[in-house]
Amino acid sequence: MTGVFEAPKTRINASMLSQYVSRPVCFIGRVGKVHPSGKSFTLTDGEGKNASVELNDPLEEELSGIVEVIGMVSNKGTIMAAVYNMFREEKGISFDLELYNEALKVLHDFPQYYPFEVSSSG
Amino acid sequence: MAVELSEGAIEALIKGNEVTNPVLQLINIRKLDSGNGPVRFRLMMSDGLHTMSSFMLATPLNSLAEQNLVAPNCVCLLKKSVTNVLKDGRTVVIILDLEVIKPADQMAGKIGDPTPYVEGQSKAPQSVPALPPAPSASSARPLQPKNGGGMNRGSSRDFGKKPLTAPSTPGGTSKVVPIASLNPYQSKWTIRARVTNKSSIRTWSNSRGDGKLFSMEIVDESGEIRVTGFNQEVDKFYSLIEQGKVYYISKGTLKIANKQFTSLKNDYEMTLNGDSSIIPCDDAHDVPMVQCDFVSIADLDARDKDAIVDVIGVCKSVEDVTRITTKNSREVSKRNIQLMDMSGKLIQVTMWGNEAETFDGTGQPILAIKGAKLSDFGGRSLSTLYSSTLMINPDIPEAYKLRGWYDKEGHALDGQSMTEMRGGGGGGPTNWKTLADVKNEHLGHGDKADYFTCIATIVYMRKENSLYQACPSKDCNKKVVDQQNGLYRCEKCDKEFPDFKYRLMLSANIADFADNQWVMCFQDSAEAILGQKSDYIGQLKDSNEAAFDEVFQHANFSTFVFRNRVKLETYNDESRIKVTVMEAKPVDHKEYSKRLIMNIRKHAAN
Repeated sequence: MTGVFEAPKTRINASMLSQYVSRPVCFIGRVGKVHPSGKSFTLTDGEGKNASVELNDPLEEELSGIVEVIGMVSNKGTIMAAVYNMFREEKGISFDLELYNEALKVLHDFPQYYPFEVSSSG
Repeated sequence: MAVELSEGAIEALIKGNEVTNPVLQLINIRKLDSGNGPVRFRLMMSDGLHTMSSFMLATPLNSLAEQNLVAPNCVCLLKKSVTNVLKDGRTVVIILDLEVIKPADQMAGKIGDPTPYVEGQSKAPQSVPALPPAPSASSARPLQPKNGGGMNRGSSRDFGKKPLTAPSTPGGTSKVVPIASLNPYQSKWTIRARVTNKSSIRTWSNSRGDGKLFSMEIVDESGEIRVTGFNQEVDKFYSLIEQGKVYYISKGTLKIANKQFTSLKNDYEMTLNGDSSIIPCDDAHDVPMVQCDFVSIADLDARDKDAIVDVIGVCKSVEDVTRITTKNSREVSKRNIQLMDMSGKLIQVTMWGNEAETFDGTGQPILAIKGAKLSDFGGRSLSTLYSSTLMINPDIPEAYKLRGWYDKEGHALDGQSMTEMRGGGGGGPTNWKTLADVKNEHLGHGDKADYFTCIATIVYMRKENSLYQACPSKDCNKKVVDQQNGLYRCEKCDKEFPDFKYRLMLSANIADFADNQWVMCFQDSAEAILGQKSDYIGQLKDSNEAAFDEVFQHANFSTFVFRNRVKLETYNDESRIKVTVMEAKPVDHKEYSKRLIMNIRKHAAN
């Protein structure tokens, strides 16, 4: 799990999860359902697809809005979160998930121009 | 075969009563050569009972007479006519539209045995020379075809109440006529109209003296007209008149409208004179509020630049008021708003002065603008004029329809803006360039200045000489000369002042990923960059140098969207590219990201 913080974390959306099994990723989505145990929740990405996030320790705060998660993708395609970060709306400017998704696709479509991607996947 | 004439129609016409499409027979037609002006035709018509010789053919119909289509014995259907009463009480019926339903050659002769119509008090004029040429010269001109129907209704309604005796009473109230029937050749009339727009008092001063004037726009069911009052009339009437109220107005002077100053659909305009009277009218709910001919925003694309149009839309967003300096160095307030209508299209509307300052766009009101000017700035945009009327949430059906539409579905629409849809390469407010593009494409080397927009970061500012001491007069920003005696002299105003105001003139170097550029920022853009008002910065400069430096430190390395003007300028045979910042705005990162992604995709596709 410590590897997560050392290696580059590829930004991905839900449809890319299966390609990143056992690799560290960064995922941003809108909080959907939070499991009653507080140990897992779902995130919806800019395309409307869901990803499950699992935590080691139960949540200690109420989660809502846009959340960024950094973690490893499990065999089941869930994200084993090492850390999460809730985005607060700043000055009324909300995070545009769809726009973020478009940018993320650019990163993946042109890996030659985004060397982090190359090193992490190579 | 047999044609029936509308018996009694002549009497009704003379009395001004409403007669719908009367059928009359032409008895005689005469050509009047008035010397100057167009040829007129005078007709004697019969309704089977009476004949009347004071019919005049409106000049557009002259061709009918010239081609002999209107010839003695033919039977005509009068589709549109107007009855005018001359100063001496005689009546002239002007035929505006007629149809020959039986040509002369199909008629055996005169139908029936009509006798000349004789009016109660005065003998109707029978002899042709008795009719002065003046009223006929162009009395048909003021009427617009579209107003024909309403006009007849208007006059007949009033005639119903008042018999013909009224107009002949000197000094008495003359009959209420529709605005559409006003012309320079009649002086006895009263109109009943609503003031839709009242200007402020303007003054002038030139070699021939000075004076003041105000103008207003008035409307009734038949049409609209602009009314101007000068000097004494300003004193007499200005305070009496309230926008939105209805008045009886009589004895104004009519003249051909100067279309340069008005957008109203009337060939004439009125000037108030010493005899004019304006009396408030209480019973006025039947007088329409404003006459607007709303154009759909989507259709504005097809209109000519500088056209004057009426629009109605939902005020979708409002920008803050800004102060700008006009070419003749006057400072005015301006405010941009976005209007959207049921076409789903948006357009930018610029308001000026007081309207810009006081406009309240909260709650996305419906805004109707009468007489806005269409500009091709940034695609299509609108600008209000001195003569424009702005109505917020007006009480008209269009407004309610629009409100309903917007609340139900319109609010969810993004709406495509007619503004900033720039055609072709150059021009427009969003001519995005990198600083390298500006150099490589030699922007500003042409005859006219070029404008471009870039995202760049400030890398250096010359804080020395960034402030100057300017004339404190409201609209003057000229640099003052320190007289060293506590007074500051402005050459432009030719005055000395005990104080001055600080203004900014900031030279800065801005850079993007590809290049850098020296730019000049004046007052507004410099304040935007430094994040402080010039007077405060000036105060710091004089009192607290550390804080003054801090302002510049703080602004350094900040990033803005710069809209710039670039022009090659030559001083002493040396040519240099001069870039002036027109506007510096904070970066809208969402917008910027979208544009970058779009550009990346576009490049990838090529």
